[in-house]
Amino acid sequence: MRIQGPWRHIVLVATLVCGWLWVDHAHSQQDVDTPDNSPEKAEFYWSRLHYTSANDYGGGGRAFGFGYSFSGWSRDYPKADRQFLEALKRLTRIQMRSYEQVVDLDSDKIYDYPWVYAVQVANWTFTEDEARRLREYLLKGGFLMVDDFHGTEDWDRFMAGMRQVFPDRPVEDLPDGDEIFHVLFDLSNRFQIPGEQYVNTGRTYEKDGYVPKWRAIRDDKGRIVVAICHNMHLGDAWEWADIAEYPENFSSMAFRIGINYIIYGMTH
Amino acid sequence: MFEWLFKYPPTVFLHGQLLLRSAWPRWLLALGVIVIGLLLAWVLRGRRASDTQLTGRLRLPLIWLLQWTIAVLIMVLLWRPAIAINELVPQANIIAVLVDDSRSMGIAEHGVTRMQQATQALQGSWLGSLSRNFQTRLYRFDSNLLRLEGPAATLTATGPATHINAVLAEFASDTASVPVGAIVLLSDGGDNSGRIDRGTIEVLRQRHIPVHTVGFGATLVPQDVEIEGVALAVRALAHSRVTAVVEVSQSGFAGRHTSVTVRDGAKLLATRELTLGADGATVSTDLTFDLPDAGPRVLRFVVAALPGEANARNNELSRLVNVEAGPRRILYVEGEPRWEYKFIRRAEEDDKVVQLVSMLRTSENKIYRQGVRDGLELAEGFPTKPEDLFGYDGIIMGSVDAGYFNAVQQALMREFVDRRGGGLLFLGGRQSLSDGVWGGSQLNELLPVTLPMVGSMFRREPATVSLTAVGADSAVTRLVDDRAVNITLWNKLPYLADFQDPGTAKSGAQELAQMHVAGRTLPLLVTENYGRGRTAVLATGGTWRWQMSLPLGDATHSVFWHQLVHWLVSDTRGQLSAQVSASTVQDQGHLQLLADVRDRNYLPATDAVVNAHLIGPDRLQADVPLRLVPGQPGRYQTDWTAPAVGMYVADITAAEGSLGAGRDTVAFQREDGVAENFHTGQNVQLLKSLAADTGGRYWSADDLAGLARAIPFSNAGVSVQRFQDLWNMPAVFLLLILLPLGEWLLRRRWGVV
Repeated sequence: MRIQGPWRHIVLVATLVCGWLWVDHAHSQQDVDTPDNSPEKAEFYWSRLHYTSANDYGGGGRAFGFGYSFSGWSRDYPKADRQFLEALKRLTRIQMRSYEQVVDLDSDKIYDYPWVYAVQVANWTFTEDEARRLREYLLKGGFLMVDDFHGTEDWDRFMAGMRQVFPDRPVEDLPDGDEIFHVLFDLSNRFQIPGEQYVNTGRTYEKDGYVPKWRAIRDDKGRIVVAICHNMHLGDAWEWADIAEYPENFSSMAFRIGINYIIYGMTH
Repeated sequence: MFEWLFKYPPTVFLHGQLLLRSAWPRWLLALGVIVIGLLLAWVLRGRRASDTQLTGRLRLPLIWLLQWTIAVLIMVLLWRPAIAINELVPQANIIAVLVDDSRSMGIAEHGVTRMQQATQALQGSWLGSLSRNFQTRLYRFDSNLLRLEGPAATLTATGPATHINAVLAEFASDTASVPVGAIVLLSDGGDNSGRIDRGTIEVLRQRHIPVHTVGFGATLVPQDVEIEGVALAVRALAHSRVTAVVEVSQSGFAGRHTSVTVRDGAKLLATRELTLGADGATVSTDLTFDLPDAGPRVLRFVVAALPGEANARNNELSRLVNVEAGPRRILYVEGEPRWEYKFIRRAEEDDKVVQLVSMLRTSENKIYRQGVRDGLELAEGFPTKPEDLFGYDGIIMGSVDAGYFNAVQQALMREFVDRRGGGLLFLGGRQSLSDGVWGGSQLNELLPVTLPMVGSMFRREPATVSLTAVGADSAVTRLVDDRAVNITLWNKLPYLADFQDPGTAKSGAQELAQMHVAGRTLPLLVTENYGRGRTAVLATGGTWRWQMSLPLGDATHSVFWHQLVHWLVSDTRGQLSAQVSASTVQDQGHLQLLADVRDRNYLPATDAVVNAHLIGPDRLQADVPLRLVPGQPGRYQTDWTAPAVGMYVADITAAEGSLGAGRDTVAFQREDGVAENFHTGQNVQLLKSLAADTGGRYWSADDLAGLARAIPFSNAGVSVQRFQDLWNMPAVFLLLILLPLGEWLLRRRWGVV
């Protein structure tokens, strides 16, 4: 059967999209042991925030049977999470579960996970109820670390979501002396952590995010409740830590930052 | 009637000595009694054979008993029975009449005041009768004694206090060289201290002075509500939640509703509705409230007056609380990063009087310290010297196994509780309690629970909580003022993130809260006093869920932790712990200043120089040295009298050699005339026991006829011993008539006659 006319272009585009989806899905699953529904209980659960993205297909969740690959929240998931947990286990006394936990803002279950990690936050959107729940989560004692968004446009979109949560709280640049950079490792000398594109391009930045921004939002007592890693991609550094082409110093720094942020979140 | 039958008043028989005045030997009387008994038995037995009417089972013994009693009575009379009694020599003794002139004597019952009753009693014939034979002296008293030269009309019932004990002591002292035959005390017994010292009683007994008490007033004042007492800690930390137990009694208002309030100045701290109990019964209610800022605080407890109350002045009572500023320092040792650590720290960040110093093992070789004074504090890990560890007031032991501490550190922790008087709280965790092998440590003995013999007791499973009966009444677990609401609140708390089986509470320990998991009930919070300190186990590391699961702004989690850590350290004293014998002294102002002084290792300091600097009303300032109490190492003491009404602050310092050994401040207040408003019913018990202890007798105001006759029989003052014959008592003759008559009637009934 020959496909003619405009249908030829439509089929071509659809084939390419499906191919990309398959590659992306396979890529994200590489070298990962998917756990069964293990009853493993732990003090600390690496919690990844599942939020609604502006570019979600059908509002997120499983799309086309390919897991979460189309949603921004699941970037680098779950390999980055598990590689990071390996480092966390080796370098701290935290008793943790060996695999990640996906948490939603559409239920109170999130309150059982006082530390949560979110990526690609330039794409997040919240309903009024979700924004309220995230705000209350943070003010009660929860901690949010955001990562993997770059440049001015991403920042603006991130802040659009953040302003739903905290309309008035200022965002501040963290000085090197801030406690969060010394709670376990002394991280006064930090540098930009690039994503996987560094392997092919040698570029540490994406878009116009040339300078890494270590930022935070604090609660009324001055405790950091939202740790913002802008113009960097720690998740990739964890995910590609076992790849020879990805420089060790980036992964090493990324692990230390992540660990410090967790220890800070568990002590403040 | 008694005196008609027995010729003499009861006093004679109570205090006299019975004797036989005949020269005949007493053994002869005994022999005669036996012989007559046997003779009568032999005669009656012989008659039984011929007299069939005496064959009943009890008839013969009864007849024998009656006849034998008559015979014995006659024989005893032959031996001349008498009573030896001391009698006051007329005109050689003083009879002191002491009349209570305090305010409570002005209380009216049925339109007549007690004082009017007393004045009327003084006009009775008994006083005139006494005056004919003795020198009578009239005194008025309240907290002081004053001799009245004029008539009793000068009594006004306005004295602000009643101190019977002090007055009797003063009287005994003033009349030490004067022959006093007896004291007649007219009073309602409303002594403000509620007791008479044994020392005063002994002085009177040595001089054989009987105190005859005459009581006035009803034992239960009609139509009155009174605060019986308020139980409240003398010391507490600022902004702590405390519970006061208020006891209220009443008469005439059974079942009525009223309210109890507590105020700090004009500020209302708490209020509670109260249903009054039966007449004379005491009901108690508790008021839970947050203390204000540091400093001595006079809290006023008031029961709302009911319409028609006879005395509203006893509806109010004040208590002085030394509210301490702190900061109290708690060392929190945590063996692994966990949420409980974070949320305890967050809860305590708001605590103005407790400073949480923590050391957290973040990795195998790193300790993260928070709340430290400087970079040196805890830099070497857990302290190994007493002076370092004893600088804290409490310890919280998180998920840390016992093996983390060496033998010296374990011994130090034990001494921290036992000797230093600190608080030690164990939390549940995967390396805590039995999972941390604490049962095999030196601290096992001071744990409030008997740990399970095996490990693996820690579970990351949900557990719901509830209060025990003890916990329902404890200030530690009181999250809201109302007791019933508090119990419900605990039942509805979000489940704990984890739990640990802590074993069973030791005897003497208090189980305040418990956990429910899979059909089992386990202790959650157990507390115990140990040595000078206290220990507790909170068998979970998962109270943080309360903070995360309850609505934003709900303070339950932080309130719970505030109260628990305040309990842990509020009674932890410094090297010098000062106290006064009473935080509120009534009327006379006497009190003792006490100091427990310890050296840097908290061993009793025996060579310290201890001084109290007192500041009081009217710019009063005084310096008083405290002396070591013999036989009580480290205990220093002095007596002092607050000269005026008001608040006093004693700043007590101690120096041991060239080293300062501590400082403490304690406040107290003197209030005059307040106690007089309380316990206004006649204290019959006090009056009766005073009379009984001194050889006198209690008399009611409307029956004083025998008083004048009873008083002369006393060996006080100038007295002589007299022998009073008993053979001529009407009772004897009556017996001699009634006994044969009884026999005759019995025989007639049996048909013998």
